[in-house]
Amino acid sequence: MTNHFNVCIIDDDDIYQFTIVKTIKALDLAKKIMVFSDGEQALNFMLDNLKNNYDLPDVIFLDNNMPIMDGFQFMEEYTKVKPQIDKKITVYMVSSSVDPVDIERANSVAEINGYIIKPIKPGQLKSIIESLEV
Amino acid sequence: MQKAIQENPKVKHTLERINGAARVGIWELDLNTNLYDTDNITCDILDLHINQKLTLNDCYILSKYKYAGEEMSLLMSNLINKGVEFDTEIEFVTQLGNIIWARKIGLADVEDGIVKRVYGIFQDVTSIKETERELQSTNSELSSIINSSAVAIVSINRDNNIKHFNSGAEKLLGYTAKEAIASLDPQSLLLPEQVYDFKLDLAKLYNKNPDKIQPFKELAKQNKSDTREWTFRKKNGDLVPVELSLTPLKNEEDKHLGILGIFYDITDRKKAESELIQKNQILNYAEQITMMGNWRWDMITADIYWSDNMYSIFGRDREKDDVVFDTYFNYIHPEDRDKVNNFITKTVNDKKFTDVLHRIVLDNGSVRTVHLLGELVLDDFGEPTHMIGTCQDVTQLRMAEIKFRGLLESAPDAMIIVDENGIIQISNKQTQKLFGYTSLELDKKPVELLIPEKFMHTYETNNNNFFTTAKYNGLEKSEEFYGVNNKGEKIPIQINLSPLETEEGLLISVAIRDITEQKQAEYKILKSKERLEVLTDNLLNKNRQLADFAHITSHNLRAPVSNLNSLLGFYNTSEDEEDKAVLFEKFEIVVGHLTETLDTLVEALKTSNGAPTELKKLKFEDALLKTTEILTGEIHETGAIIKSDFTNVPAILYSKVYLESIFLNLVSNALKYRSPDRTPEITLKSFLVRNRVTLTVEDNGLGIDLERHGHKLFGLNKVFHRHPQAKGIGLFMTKVQIESLGGIITAESTVNKGTTFILTLN
Repeated sequence: MTNHFNVCIIDDDDIYQFTIVKTIKALDLAKKIMVFSDGEQALNFMLDNLKNNYDLPDVIFLDNNMPIMDGFQFMEEYTKVKPQIDKKITVYMVSSSVDPVDIERANSVAEINGYIIKPIKPGQLKSIIESLEV
Repeated sequence: MQKAIQENPKVKHTLERINGAARVGIWELDLNTNLYDTDNITCDILDLHINQKLTLNDCYILSKYKYAGEEMSLLMSNLINKGVEFDTEIEFVTQLGNIIWARKIGLADVEDGIVKRVYGIFQDVTSIKETERELQSTNSELSSIINSSAVAIVSINRDNNIKHFNSGAEKLLGYTAKEAIASLDPQSLLLPEQVYDFKLDLAKLYNKNPDKIQPFKELAKQNKSDTREWTFRKKNGDLVPVELSLTPLKNEEDKHLGILGIFYDITDRKKAESELIQKNQILNYAEQITMMGNWRWDMITADIYWSDNMYSIFGRDREKDDVVFDTYFNYIHPEDRDKVNNFITKTVNDKKFTDVLHRIVLDNGSVRTVHLLGELVLDDFGEPTHMIGTCQDVTQLRMAEIKFRGLLESAPDAMIIVDENGIIQISNKQTQKLFGYTSLELDKKPVELLIPEKFMHTYETNNNNFFTTAKYNGLEKSEEFYGVNNKGEKIPIQINLSPLETEEGLLISVAIRDITEQKQAEYKILKSKERLEVLTDNLLNKNRQLADFAHITSHNLRAPVSNLNSLLGFYNTSEDEEDKAVLFEKFEIVVGHLTETLDTLVEALKTSNGAPTELKKLKFEDALLKTTEILTGEIHETGAIIKSDFTNVPAILYSKVYLESIFLNLVSNALKYRSPDRTPEITLKSFLVRNRVTLTVEDNGLGIDLERHGHKLFGLNKVFHRHPQAKGIGLFMTKVQIESLGGIITAESTVNKGTTFILTLN
């Protein structure tokens, strides 16, 4: 079963939000889908639910290019609060940027598990979520 | 007797002849007439005519002196009246004016106490008188010589006894004449060794056996006198140098009577002589040390005198080689002959000797350099009679000078040597080349002629500070200055100063390097650097733009494209018409975004690829007015206060479209991101910062966390507020426009206080 995970989407792009949510739902990959339009909103949620393992996401698909607090800024803040969280959270950076600089930068952040170039294919999404179970 | 004479004609005739020869005349006075009866001889003596009768009175008148006439008159009256006879000599002036001495004898015949007849003899004694007088004067001269104390005279007879010892001898030797004549052995005055030398000398001179010769007698025998220096022993034992002339004394029969010695003290002369010798030695020594000789040229006799050292300078032997006028000239180096000849001619013409430096070639072929210095001796008419002077061998000095000169000339820089007052002493050719002056024009001129700046000010104001420091630390000063050449042109130069301590005081050698080329190269490098910087800036700009565009393509173009792909995937798999309709709506949104992004990009590319062709002088006031007109609604709605101050720089040469766009973007941004707690207040100002027109737009709005977002402030589609109208295009375009015209935009901001955009427009 793959639908017992909390999936968190952080992205300001409405269309992207629409397509990914639709894909996850269609594949029934999540127990719960959380969508945030920028890093700050997501962070606030995390801070509110530090001990709430039930609601904390299992996996985060993080966009880089966002207003207010972008992906990297979010990661900085997240890294600070991570020790207080007793839950394994896998973070993927998802970006339309094919700029090697961005990819390199993402790879240099230990807490980021991978870099996915948009658009995410449904099969790719499925295999990522399935890999979480192992 | 008279009677007898008269009576006997023969006797009378004989007497008359004798009387004529002895010029003895007779006279008789007629006591009745007082007329003289004179014979022919008497008449002749007194230049009287024959038969001319003299009166008694005439006789007085003829007397040369009045007192003699009176005496004669007295003698005659005594003779006539008392019969007192006389025999006297008297000087007469004859009728013809001849002065004669005459002997007049007066006789009287007295009978019974009465004078019956008066007569006498009249003799011309003029010649006798003169002889007598000469003898007398000779005698007195001689005795004055003999008695003079300046000259000592001693005579010795054959028996070696002193016969005469004058006062000069007394004074010189300390003996009185009396004791000398009585008991002094003349030999005791002499030194035995001198007598021995004298003996040898005479023996050699007259070819005699020195053991047997009697020198004083030999002199007499040879009838020779001898003058030489002797040393006499005085009575008190002191020795005195004298010059003694020995003359043998002989009588008429050539018989040796003795010897006469005339001598005088030559102590002073000896002293002067020895001083002279000493001085001469010193001079010789001095000449040897200074390699200098002295010479004299008698221009009338053409005699040449050279000092010892003069001979050694010319490598000649005084004993063997005579010098004549041409000797000197023959030694002169052939190339210098004309120079010296001209010099001598000039010297004689100008009657002023300066100095001349020339070379000589010695007999052994070696070449020396001599410095000739002299003076002309003129006679009373101002004509030169002598030339005297010195001649110094300055070869070594000259060599040193040549070496120094060579060193100076070989320097690649212009070199001058100045004294403490900055007066030029020496300059080299490079100096003349660099500044265009000849060395004569520079000689003794102040160095400011070449370098107007006071480069020696350090020492001038600080009491020789530079020199003292330079001296002790061996410092070299190297500074850049401007020199001025003879055309008044400025030359950039670099100066090196170093002090030279000499006997004549402190000198400073100044090395001057023309750094025109260096300066030009420097200028070129600077220019290149500037250009390079501009190029780098441009490249950086382009790079940044490229990066911006790379970023834009990554995000702003790929994002909608990937969205389109995702949507397309759904669309293809969707069978629900309703779903498809929803998807289609989404397509429209994405396509709208894409179009907008592409439009912005195209515009940005157009903007940054080339400045708009038309730049106009634009008033800031007008641009602001247009902006407020466009934004009337928002301004009214928000109650915003817009202030402006463009008094410092009211206008700018700029693109009209850009300026209006910039104003619109910044003012609308300020309105858009206003604080909900405050009435928006926007202040615009223009002024100059480092000559560049600068515009500030200040608001009291939300502000931006520049630490977080600074790097993307002006990026495309970057938004920092969850604002429905935030699209992230305005600042991006503003930046592109400003940079396309060479400007810069920066921002200062504090969150919740406000933001100030600073635009450097040109």
